[in-house]
Amino acid sequence: MIHFKNVIKTYPPNIVGIRNVNLHIRPGEFVSIVGQSGTGKSTLAKLMFAEETATSGQIAIGGWDITRISQHDVPLLRRQIGVVFQDFKLLPRKTVFENVAFALEVAGTPSRRIKEIVPQVLKIVNLHDKGDRYPKQLSGGEQQRVVVARSLVHRPKILVADEPTGNLDAIHTHEIIDLLKKINEFGTTVVLVTHNREVVNALKKRVILVDGGEIVSDVEEGRYKI
Amino acid sequence: MLTSSIRSVKFAFQSFGRNFWLSIITVSMLVLTLVTINLLLVLQIVASKAVSFAEERIEVSVYFFPAATEDKIKDASGYLRGLPQVRDVQVITADEALSRFKERHAADATILSALDEVGGSPFGPTLVIKAKSASDFPLILDALDNPQFRNDIREKDFSSYEDIVNRIKATTERVQLFGMGLAAVFLLIAILIVFNTVRIALFVHREEIAIMKLVGATNAFIRSPFLIECFLYSLFAVAIVAGIVFPAVAVIDPSMTTFFGGESVGLLSYFQANWYVVFGIQLAALTVINMVSTTLAMRKYLKV
Repeated sequence: MIHFKNVIKTYPPNIVGIRNVNLHIRPGEFVSIVGQSGTGKSTLAKLMFAEETATSGQIAIGGWDITRISQHDVPLLRRQIGVVFQDFKLLPRKTVFENVAFALEVAGTPSRRIKEIVPQVLKIVNLHDKGDRYPKQLSGGEQQRVVVARSLVHRPKILVADEPTGNLDAIHTHEIIDLLKKINEFGTTVVLVTHNREVVNALKKRVILVDGGEIVSDVEEGRYKI
Repeated sequence: MLTSSIRSVKFAFQSFGRNFWLSIITVSMLVLTLVTINLLLVLQIVASKAVSFAEERIEVSVYFFPAATEDKIKDASGYLRGLPQVRDVQVITADEALSRFKERHAADATILSALDEVGGSPFGPTLVIKAKSASDFPLILDALDNPQFRNDIREKDFSSYEDIVNRIKATTERVQLFGMGLAAVFLLIAILIVFNTVRIALFVHREEIAIMKLVGATNAFIRSPFLIECFLYSLFAVAIVAGIVFPAVAVIDPSMTTFFGGESVGLLSYFQANWYVVFGIQLAALTVINMVSTTLAMRKYLKV
């Protein structure tokens, strides 16, 4: 599903983001990428949805070589990958329903389809009764669930969550992780970038440890160890 | 495609409304620019009418000696009518010239008694020539210099309307040059304002744009509302200018007709007949200029 072959990412003038990363994530896997801040785990995630491009090496998503993806093709890639961020990235002037619908609107989905899809995904994230609320009227956990809902509207094969629980308390963190597990059970490959030890240890899924821009360990049913 | 287009238009209207005062300033500058351009157009129409009005009144009187025969006069008038530059030739016989002179000086007993002293008519026949253009007169006068007529001509009197024509033309050119300079300055300010309006709109929408990119919006979808917004600026500006120009021209037109001695300048009829061309060209030009300005603003401040 996700292939990294000898991938290097450097930033000017000569700062190494990641170095010589080789990685294979299979369809339907739930993978946690862990490591301390500034070790390159977010760079790894950004390379997956073409927010960054590799300096060298090769990246393939679902058999599609995106190493030198054109600007024209980036939107097509992003409609196949759901992305969840720590800082939510919700539009404050739009309601929950409108925020979720926005992802479909920009892709040219007809309004009739939007009215069908959005309530379905809001039900998955258990926000079906809060569609007309604005983000500021929601808790942090609820806001993050809106983001998850938005990332699901395109029925993505991959969901990349970059520190999705970074701004949440323990209860809301638990809710979001449960939601990600549920999405994974539906068959979506989930890549979770986190430095939350409890989350990783509770998951008992594959753990990739990144340090100094390199993968230093890759363990099935691993634990958070630095 | 249709759905995306409708959404782009919706987003453009939203942006126009959310940055209402900025949009008003932008449209105002475009209106000022277009008003200047339309003033130049009105000036052009009025000036060309003034020139043709003056040119119609330019005439050359060619006075023949009293001994000149009627056949000679006929030959000369026929010859002149054959010239493409000549609009009209009027023949005034010696008797007609005398009676006109008497009419003109009917109140002046001294002149009339002097005329009686002379006895008979001291006047020869006269040809009054009107040319198609003031610039044609030197050629017409040269044509009369040919040996066939030269010895029968006593005097050629070229009325000084040519000076007036030249002065109208020179003044018009100066005013047009000033107007073009003014329009260019307004246009430059308008372009800069559009450029900055788009930059501010991009800044206001930066979060929205980032999310749009994140969830898979194409570059065209992100750009199109800004381009449509620019078209809206142009459309509103042209509509407002049309709303100013038509009533203004309707008010000015009768005064102009009075000024030109009852002869219509045709200002209102010109705009009525050509409004779609006049304002269509202005809309197209303004849209192109605004879109170029917007594209430049987006290229620099929106990395999509």
